[in-house]
Amino acid sequence: MSLAFGEMGIRELHEGLTSKQFSAEEIAKATIDGVERNDRELHAFLEMTSDKALDAAKAVDAAIADGSFANMGPVAGIPIAYKDNMNLEGTHTTCASNMLESYISPYTATCVQKTIDASMLPIGKLNMDEFAFGSSTETSAFGPTRNPWDLERVPGGSSGGSAASVAAGLVPVSLGSDTGGSIRQPAAFCGVVGVKPTYGMVSRYGIVAFGSSLDQVGPFARSVEDAALVMNAISGHDPNDCTSQANNVDFTANLDDGVKGMKIGIVPAFMVAQGLQPEIKQRVEEAAKKLEAQGAELVEIDLSNAKAAMSAYYVLGPCEAFSNLARFDSVRYGYCDPGHSDLSDQYEQSRAKGFGDEARRRIMLGSYLLSAGVYDKYYYPAQQIRTLITQDYINAYEKVDCLLTPVTPRTSFKFGEVSDPTEMYLSDMFTISINICGNGGMSVPCGLGVDSNLPIGVQLISPAFRDENMFRVAAALEREYGKATIAPNFKK
Amino acid sequence: MSEHLTQEDVRSIAEYTRIGMTDDEVAAMTVDLNNIIDSLAPITEYDLDGVEPTFHPIGGLVNVLSEDEERPSFPQKVALENAPKQQDGCFLIPSILGEGGDR
Repeated sequence: MSLAFGEMGIRELHEGLTSKQFSAEEIAKATIDGVERNDRELHAFLEMTSDKALDAAKAVDAAIADGSFANMGPVAGIPIAYKDNMNLEGTHTTCASNMLESYISPYTATCVQKTIDASMLPIGKLNMDEFAFGSSTETSAFGPTRNPWDLERVPGGSSGGSAASVAAGLVPVSLGSDTGGSIRQPAAFCGVVGVKPTYGMVSRYGIVAFGSSLDQVGPFARSVEDAALVMNAISGHDPNDCTSQANNVDFTANLDDGVKGMKIGIVPAFMVAQGLQPEIKQRVEEAAKKLEAQGAELVEIDLSNAKAAMSAYYVLGPCEAFSNLARFDSVRYGYCDPGHSDLSDQYEQSRAKGFGDEARRRIMLGSYLLSAGVYDKYYYPAQQIRTLITQDYINAYEKVDCLLTPVTPRTSFKFGEVSDPTEMYLSDMFTISINICGNGGMSVPCGLGVDSNLPIGVQLISPAFRDENMFRVAAALEREYGKATIAPNFKK
Repeated sequence: MSEHLTQEDVRSIAEYTRIGMTDDEVAAMTVDLNNIIDSLAPITEYDLDGVEPTFHPIGGLVNVLSEDEERPSFPQKVALENAPKQQDGCFLIPSILGEGGDR
């Protein structure tokens, strides 16, 4: 019997386990086998954790046998994979960098531990841009991930492996992290659901830090409900991350409520932004109209300070990265260049060889921006602009429950097509302001481009800690477009 | 492109951030950084008089102290497992005080 586990979502897998149509071990083995067969061309995975997955599956099957499976919750026995900046004890956590190629996690990140505590099956660790610096997964030191929809194109980034693995049907769900768009942009490029929850919804403990006031962990899935179920498993307060908040939100609670009576904000300035492809504008406008037809009221919103978000982010992000990446000293862990009798030489050569070009650029930019004199010209004003952008959103949420915008200005590009760093940074022009003010944002598929025939995403943005608003709208859109499909190249 | 940074400036930053760079790499990095800093111009064009900064998206955080009680932490062996070089239960680095060296 050949079971198409790859097509199944959490609910179908859960029902199959409950009714004993198949076992968790069968799910684990088929998933591992699927990765081994399909990932050679995709390169979404950096490491498999097959033994851990099979052990977890055995525990689930034991619970099914003794009748305690019903107490395990809806995600028990569901395969999941993690971006490789998330510690899982005993696995490599490389951040796709030569700096951490040999690093073995001595502990487990809280978000990962919560999926294990929920009896999910950990399948492996996923490729990414080095230290999450990038929008294409091309900066991975171990080679790029390919977009399942077109293997000549990038999957987006930095959580490219997380998006591609779900889009190709290798796993039903995965975790990524988002500092400026690193979940939402690859979700849009690969045609899956990607959620950047409100900052503080999910613990960051055990995630290799990039921008500590911006980073947030979230799920990728092929349905809104699957993403909501994973959010239920990973969110909540963690004593090890003082910014994580206690929120007893059930992300699935209002998925069936519909949008009738909801007010949804449209940002006219975003829809005429320079560089926005016509096919994206078309699909995003259609999505808004579909919601209007379902009874939502569309309200035009002015986010006039959002135009400075890109520049503010490229001050704040590199400054925080410079500070966070100072820890890689070639002494306690990480790459150590051999043969130096002088400590300074050892530091300099280890960091020169351990970090790729984009990591070096961000470290050096951050160092410059925080230096005396320059701090007052860029860093401090960027934090003041953060106040203005946040205030724009607070004003908007007095009028609307949720905002609807494009995720990306364009669909997926070919490898090497975007080589200028500042041009690459524009990938995040619609996503970045949400990290700056900490709101929730998610990407939901809204069809293929009429010109490119590639996936397009629409971004939904919630007020801080009201993420259920965007899930409610996302579910309404999904009823129009259907759940995300596995990329045609990977359909059985 | 404006020259915010000279190659000499970039060399100093490389030294400060402990990243060894060749002359060619310094030249390329100087171009990249100047381009990026150009793109930050919108920040300098704002009238920000009287605007308070937001250093963190979650406002109203207060410091909390944990109870003064013993909790498990990494044993020395685990803490050293990822060290590239170690000796006698310590991290090992090249000598920094003149003649010395490895035992």
